[in-house]
Amino acid sequence: MDSSSHMASLPEDIITDEHLQQQTQPASASAFASVPQRPPTKSSSEKYAPLDWSVYFDKEDDVAIPESNDVFHVYTAGTEGPVVFCLHGGGYSGLSFAVSASKIKEKARVVAMDLRGHGKSLTEDDLDLSVETMCNDVLAVIKELYSDSPPAIILVGHSCIILLTIIGKKLLHHQSMGGSIAVHVAARRSLSALAGLVVVDVVEGTAMASLIHMQKILSSRMQHFSSIEKAIEWSVRGGSLRNIDSARVSIPATLKYDHSKKCYLYRTELEKTEQYWKGWYEGLSDKFLSCPVPKLLLLAGTDRLDRSLTIGQMQGKFQMVVVRHTGHAIQEDVPDEFATLIVNFISRNRIGPHGIEIPGLRKPAFSKP
Amino acid sequence: MGANSLSSAESTLDLDEQISQLMQCKPLSEHQVRVLCEKAKEILMDESNVQPVKSPVTICGDIHGQFHDLAELFRIGGKCPDTNYLFMGDYVDRGYYSVETVTLLVSLKVRYPQRITILRGNHESRQITQVYGFYDECLRKYGNASVWKIFTDLFDFFPLTALVESEIFCLHGGLSPSIETLDNIRNFDRVQEVPHEGPMCDLLWSDPDDRCGWGISPRGAGYTFGQDISEQFNHTNKLKLIARAHQLVMDGFNWAHEQKVVTIFSAPNYCYRCGNMASILEVDDSMGHTFIQFDPAPRRGEPDVTRRTPDYFL
Repeated sequence: MDSSSHMASLPEDIITDEHLQQQTQPASASAFASVPQRPPTKSSSEKYAPLDWSVYFDKEDDVAIPESNDVFHVYTAGTEGPVVFCLHGGGYSGLSFAVSASKIKEKARVVAMDLRGHGKSLTEDDLDLSVETMCNDVLAVIKELYSDSPPAIILVGHSCIILLTIIGKKLLHHQSMGGSIAVHVAARRSLSALAGLVVVDVVEGTAMASLIHMQKILSSRMQHFSSIEKAIEWSVRGGSLRNIDSARVSIPATLKYDHSKKCYLYRTELEKTEQYWKGWYEGLSDKFLSCPVPKLLLLAGTDRLDRSLTIGQMQGKFQMVVVRHTGHAIQEDVPDEFATLIVNFISRNRIGPHGIEIPGLRKPAFSKP
Repeated sequence: MGANSLSSAESTLDLDEQISQLMQCKPLSEHQVRVLCEKAKEILMDESNVQPVKSPVTICGDIHGQFHDLAELFRIGGKCPDTNYLFMGDYVDRGYYSVETVTLLVSLKVRYPQRITILRGNHESRQITQVYGFYDECLRKYGNASVWKIFTDLFDFFPLTALVESEIFCLHGGLSPSIETLDNIRNFDRVQEVPHEGPMCDLLWSDPDDRCGWGISPRGAGYTFGQDISEQFNHTNKLKLIARAHQLVMDGFNWAHEQKVVTIFSAPNYCYRCGNMASILEVDDSMGHTFIQFDPAPRRGEPDVTRRTPDYFL
């Protein structure tokens, strides 16, 4: 009887095991169903997936500088009109102008260069971001691209503005070098290679006052990213950019992979270039104001003007546009508006492929342009 | 008649109280602003695009919301209505007290319509005021944008230019390739937002230039005009002088085109940072000119306008 009872007990155990297994499977399925992680994860990955430059630019090239080991990467778009030559800010790359370039190229040519230490450019000293060195870099690239017959160039600069003014002056001087060039220039009715300056969200006084905070701001950024998608996501959610499409194409170029740490880091070690920052901004306003070509200053807020630029603006020395609903990278955050402003600037100032195209505008007695 | 007289007397008393309040830099209520601007509109709609002004008159340039400097201007130039005034626009934006500034000038216009002339500047515009401060200031001081809307609707009625004794042509900006005669100005409809281009835009945006002919304005709107242009315009319209504002000049005034064009700027230490003098131009009843320069009013505590902490800009 006991033995019989014991045997009855054993079958119960077996049944219990089976039942437990059955229960486990439904529970597991239920858990899966109640916490559906994969679809959102996939969606999130797709949302922040990198975009290729070829969606926006027509071409990319490496420009090797003679008698040096330096190679600068440039992106180009468009085939007609003056050249909008784009210089990105510190820590960005030429792809910062990608989305807006696809709009500008309908009316003008676009060249966006990766500056030393940024993007895909490779130089012997990627940490030498001095004004002199970077100016020479840009001039060397322009020379390689156009030899001695540059088209009309509208220099567009985001942050590293002082480069514009110095490069601009050298381009102006270039036109006065050599009789043959002068004759050639006269024949082409070109006033100069430099036809316009566009400054994107930098003012000397404000910049100088903020430099002391910049190392702290740099160090407070997220430093390590497990994937490019994570970096893009951070730049839009917690960083400085507001336009996802632009971030997807521009952020990858600002990163490099660290094999030892198995993660992505910033390509440009800006914190090691502090010695040069002051030189980027000192004397900027006066240099900008004294450059004798049409000038456009784009700002993200009205409280950014310093004394020199406030006076200059109120004396009618340049055009200023305050772009709303944007952060520091205006060309990324509102690319359509940025492109429209550039194209309108070119049109209003009658800048053609070889400079100002209506020399007869300045007629007396109420001539109508 | 008695009832009307009483009503008019009450209205005058109200206005005087409001002006007294405004002189202390205290804004009116929204309702008071609404009533005031309705009255101003009725007065301004009857004025010409080229509003005739008699001498003696004191001609003033940009104020840009610098209320205490406007008060200084009245201390130096004399109180309205004892002194006749002609203001050439840009009452708002940039300074901290655009609301008090423009309300005071409109109040004086309603109270003494023949003693003060207020022209339109390029900043008397819906688009510009949303960017350069007046809109935000109205939001801050009234809690909504109603007062901003009331004023920007009123701005459309401000005359564009004035003519002092048929000799001095006054306006905010400058000349236009589309305008050869004063009748050209008299004939168009000014009651609109400042357009991006065209003659009305040019009158509010153009600047004189050392170079002859017409030029593309670096500002992005209007034109630059040379001495040949202003000479032709003055000759055609039998004028002796063009007085205008619009440009900051460090001494407060600046002659151009062999003393046929003068710029007057009346906001000292513009934007509380430029370090410039301001000036006004007194024209006596014999049409003699005297510039009066002045410095900023003594600084008082800056209003609590929080400035942003710096962010990334490399």
